[in-house]
Amino acid sequence: MNDQLDGIALEIQWSNLIATVTEQARALQRIAFSPIVREAGDLATALFDRRGRMVAQAVTGTPGHINSLGAAGQHFVRAFPPDSLSPGDVLITNDPWLSAGHFFDITVMTPVFRGGRCIGFFGSTIHHTDIGGYGVGAGARDVHEEGLWIPLAKLYEKGVANALLFDIIRRNVRTPDHVAGDLAAQVAAGRVGAERLNALCDRTGFDDIEALADAIIGRSEQATRESIRKLTPGTYHGESIFDVPGGQKITLKAAVTVDAEAGELIIDFAGSSPEAPIGINVVLNYTAAYANFAVRACLDPDLPNNYGSLFPVKVRAPEGSIVNCRYPAPVNARHVVGMYVPFPVLKALHQVMPDRVLAEGSGAVWTIQIQGKDDEGQPFTSSMFNYSGGTGARRGKPGLSATCYPTGVAAVPVEVLEAAMPIVFTRKELRRGSGGAGRMPGGDGQVIGYRMRTRDPWLLNVVASRTDLGPEGLEGGADGMPGRFLVNGKPVNEARKMAMAATDEVLMETPGGGGYGRA
Amino acid sequence: MPDDVTGAPRASAGMTAATGYSLAVDIGGTFTDVVLRHADGRATTDKTLTTHRNLLEGFFRAVDLALGKTGVGPEAVTEVTVHATTLVTNAVIERRGPPTALLATKGFRDILSIRNEHRYDMFDPQIEFPDPLVSDSLVYTLDERMLATGAVEKPVDAAEAAAVARRMAADGVKAVGICLLNAYRNGANERAARDAILAAVPGMEVTLSSEVSPQIREYPRASTTVMNAYTQPIVAPYLAALSAELVRRGFPNRPLIMLSNGGVVGTSVAGAFPVRMIESGPAAGALAASYFAEVLQLPRLLSFDMGGTTAKACMIDAGKPLVAGEFEVDRRYRFKPGSGFPITIPAVDMIEIGAGGGSIARVDNLGLLKVGPRSAGSEPGPVCYGRGGTEPTVTDSDVVLGLLDADRFLGGDMKLDKAGAEAALGRLGGKLGTDAVATARGVFEVVCEQMAGAARAHATDRGIDWRGLPMLAFGGAGPVHACRVAELLECRHLVFPPMASVLSAFGTLVSPVRLDLVRSALSPLASLDWDAVRALVGGMADEGRAALAEAGVAAADATLELGVDCRYRGQQNEVTTDLPLAVLEGGDAAALREAFESAYEALYGIRLPDVPVEVVTWRLAARGPLPVANPSPIAGGAPASPRTHRPVAVEPGVPMVPVYDRASIAVGQSIEGPVIIEERETTLVVLRGWTASVHPTGAVIAERVA
Repeated sequence: MNDQLDGIALEIQWSNLIATVTEQARALQRIAFSPIVREAGDLATALFDRRGRMVAQAVTGTPGHINSLGAAGQHFVRAFPPDSLSPGDVLITNDPWLSAGHFFDITVMTPVFRGGRCIGFFGSTIHHTDIGGYGVGAGARDVHEEGLWIPLAKLYEKGVANALLFDIIRRNVRTPDHVAGDLAAQVAAGRVGAERLNALCDRTGFDDIEALADAIIGRSEQATRESIRKLTPGTYHGESIFDVPGGQKITLKAAVTVDAEAGELIIDFAGSSPEAPIGINVVLNYTAAYANFAVRACLDPDLPNNYGSLFPVKVRAPEGSIVNCRYPAPVNARHVVGMYVPFPVLKALHQVMPDRVLAEGSGAVWTIQIQGKDDEGQPFTSSMFNYSGGTGARRGKPGLSATCYPTGVAAVPVEVLEAAMPIVFTRKELRRGSGGAGRMPGGDGQVIGYRMRTRDPWLLNVVASRTDLGPEGLEGGADGMPGRFLVNGKPVNEARKMAMAATDEVLMETPGGGGYGRA
Repeated sequence: MPDDVTGAPRASAGMTAATGYSLAVDIGGTFTDVVLRHADGRATTDKTLTTHRNLLEGFFRAVDLALGKTGVGPEAVTEVTVHATTLVTNAVIERRGPPTALLATKGFRDILSIRNEHRYDMFDPQIEFPDPLVSDSLVYTLDERMLATGAVEKPVDAAEAAAVARRMAADGVKAVGICLLNAYRNGANERAARDAILAAVPGMEVTLSSEVSPQIREYPRASTTVMNAYTQPIVAPYLAALSAELVRRGFPNRPLIMLSNGGVVGTSVAGAFPVRMIESGPAAGALAASYFAEVLQLPRLLSFDMGGTTAKACMIDAGKPLVAGEFEVDRRYRFKPGSGFPITIPAVDMIEIGAGGGSIARVDNLGLLKVGPRSAGSEPGPVCYGRGGTEPTVTDSDVVLGLLDADRFLGGDMKLDKAGAEAALGRLGGKLGTDAVATARGVFEVVCEQMAGAARAHATDRGIDWRGLPMLAFGGAGPVHACRVAELLECRHLVFPPMASVLSAFGTLVSPVRLDLVRSALSPLASLDWDAVRALVGGMADEGRAALAEAGVAAADATLELGVDCRYRGQQNEVTTDLPLAVLEGGDAAALREAFESAYEALYGIRLPDVPVEVVTWRLAARGPLPVANPSPIAGGAPASPRTHRPVAVEPGVPMVPVYDRASIAVGQSIEGPVIIEERETTLVVLRGWTASVHPTGAVIAERVA
């Protein structure tokens, strides 16, 4: 069969696989209750072979999820060997260390059967609206305070729902209808994905996808190794320092070794900060996801993302460091640190690929959640929403203002938020001059002001970062301005929910990106 | 380029028995097409080059050609005169608008540059965004505030607005788009601002977001508003000049203008909302497809249009093209979705991908054969054009495979360099370890797969099962590839319409008068204020009826179709569903919920009975009568025989395939594939396992027999 899969046949089958998983990702994104999924695309869908190797992945989604889902495939297959499964089985987990790094992300895997044999899996990860426990934010002291832990389990067995597990989930979350609705959507996506894969096999006359998977993974691995071999061998160092809610400064160090002989990149985070006492710790899966993302975008944005292209990039971090945390470290707001993971890697890669990298940018998006009472005294809890700062400049192009990087999050429109809760925005405009000057200037951050139309006190949960140290410029470009988070004009730096008076006004100024080259 | 076609059926305007001629002119980027049709079905078509400096010059040149060839004068055009034009799109793409301002709420001046903060391509660190149509120095703000409840927190200060207007005038501003926060809910502050501006600077052209697109979400609304403001100073005088010239020349009727929603309206509505004219040419193509759907009794079909740089697919459902509420204009960066301007106006729902005759084939660094989205365009064009192109394209592959005749391209007006194409494909084949012909076959397969894949995604996204849908193919490259695309979509019924080279112009003649209106009014379904909704929809109905009256539709012939966008509470993506007016009149919440949930289930395969439903937006389509399909059959002639045979290499055996002239084939004659049927502007490829025949309408129909 490999002979038949030349560059023409393979292109056709491969595009079909990617279209199949992308179709399901788009459907999931449209119907998700979870605002971060539908506005931000905080989801991933992928196809796995019998060995749990990721073969094709949707072109939508955020880096954190995509590559974490890829890693989860192998854990599922180890716990549930394909030949032990039956048609109608559906698997689930939200184990942070086996999948996407915090309980909110639930991964659902649907085995695909053809002629009575499991030929692969269709998997999806999405960020759910709630998972019980502490809720949104970094305030929990250990992982158990952060909500419901779902081990590797069967959500459906031979088509029959696991009633006990569904009941446990519903009783342990604050929004049972939304969580159940989103799980139903994931199960439906898996079912449709499996049907599509079977239809593809019908069209092509395949009995399984083994040869196709081997060809895809083999070529991807080879192309990745070849693009690594073009780099000058050596070990390159990058370091990024930033402050997190509560004021702690985090250091991430990356040593990137180009092994041109093997065509491998080894990224080692030795020397990075240790685990933190608040929920900003990152599991290795998620660290690897963002490190890989940074590498792949620089090597060649057209490289596919699958087991083969991820394999030649090895990510290591000392156990107990903030980028390879151990049980029972709290991990809920792991994006705050995780979204900075690309920057030390980019700084190291700058030494071998100065045309491809960006200067440091604002990093993690700032997330906000509000609880209070509306005009009629009815309590409300807003969904989480987020705003970005500026991105770092490129060597040949300026940074992008008010645009997220590395994640792919969109902001919820002001009008949508004002329609959903009694919030009134007073400003949302660019923070001019906040991007670092340079031959290519960094992108500007933004200024966002808001207050509540309420007579009652309210609760504000903001996860802001880089309010002390601005993003660094490259090659003499100036640093971007650090962010500012003010209540009634006074700076605050708080990792936990804050009690607010009815008339309090909030002002958030997100950081600008670093410049590139001397101005 | 004369092309007389008889037998194309007559679509009457429906209000009176048609006796005279109707006239349609479609101005595209390269050609201006004209169709002059008599009530009895006879039609004259022609084409002339588009005159970009003064579009009306080409317009009337085309009209004169058609009138002259038919031997009638302007006074004979007693039915409609319909016009579709690329004027608005070009004004945006070429940035030809006058200095245009945005007036925003104080504190929100950067709506256009902040966008939605999203990177449309996660993995490409080099992405770019287009510069907004309004430059940063021409953004002004007002200290006013409308709340999301519709209550005015801070009214407009007329003195402040007047001062802003004078500053605008001093800055050279000719047109302003006003987009104030929450104006979708209540446009009072926008109207007050307009009054004050016009009092201070009477000549200013003003567009209000609450009139052009009163929908929640400030960025797409602002984007739509400034695009309208930007194009209005170009479009309004153009339409006025067109009307005046038609009158001067003795045409009895004022023109109707094609909109992107697949309807036509009078010039005053079109001139006030030029943004609605964007993409009117492709919309007219979709209307032509709907027309054949009706005549051939194929209520659901996939329309497939492939040209030089892109391919478009559009779903016709229940004889009408699907209409979507948002699309994107001017994708600047590698043709990627997200790299253009969002526009929230009703438009025929099409998917467009970068795969056309000029799309360039290459081998990527994984050794895979890729086609497009990079295109050789028309300059230098494919290698076989002999104008300096060196990279092999889809057209080059078609020539090498024998699908296109190098000596008869454009009726022989343009000789193609087959040897050059073969050499280029041979070089590419070297990287794949194969020869030129196998590579050409690969390019053909890959591009057909791409188009089939795009059509599958488009249908699936809309909850439509694509398997076996009939297809209609047009455009220069469409009929060459349609049969293979059809096979990949499990389609068994393929239509090649007549007048394919002027199909959009023809489409305008079979478009109903139609205006789509949209108003956001967010409310839980359970506590919906039905009286308020009836008042809101009543206002939309009045606006719709007025537009219909201007276009000559009698009140008794006007129909109103209600639609509503709903979602489950907690979701942000709405599902649009049609709703009988009786549901509104009766305030029937249960019926509304059922309509929403059945549409939702069709799209996503689930219902969520425990979750409350929210109503977000009301839609009203006001339309005139559907043009009556009135085919006048062509008589059957003697069966034709092939003009020649040539080897075609789509199949590995490279069989000799008969080649017919399209005009020679008789109605009812049935020809087994593989067969090639040539006309001047395109070539119909019918593969083995299919049988082609000519329908009395002049359409060639291919049916899968194997």
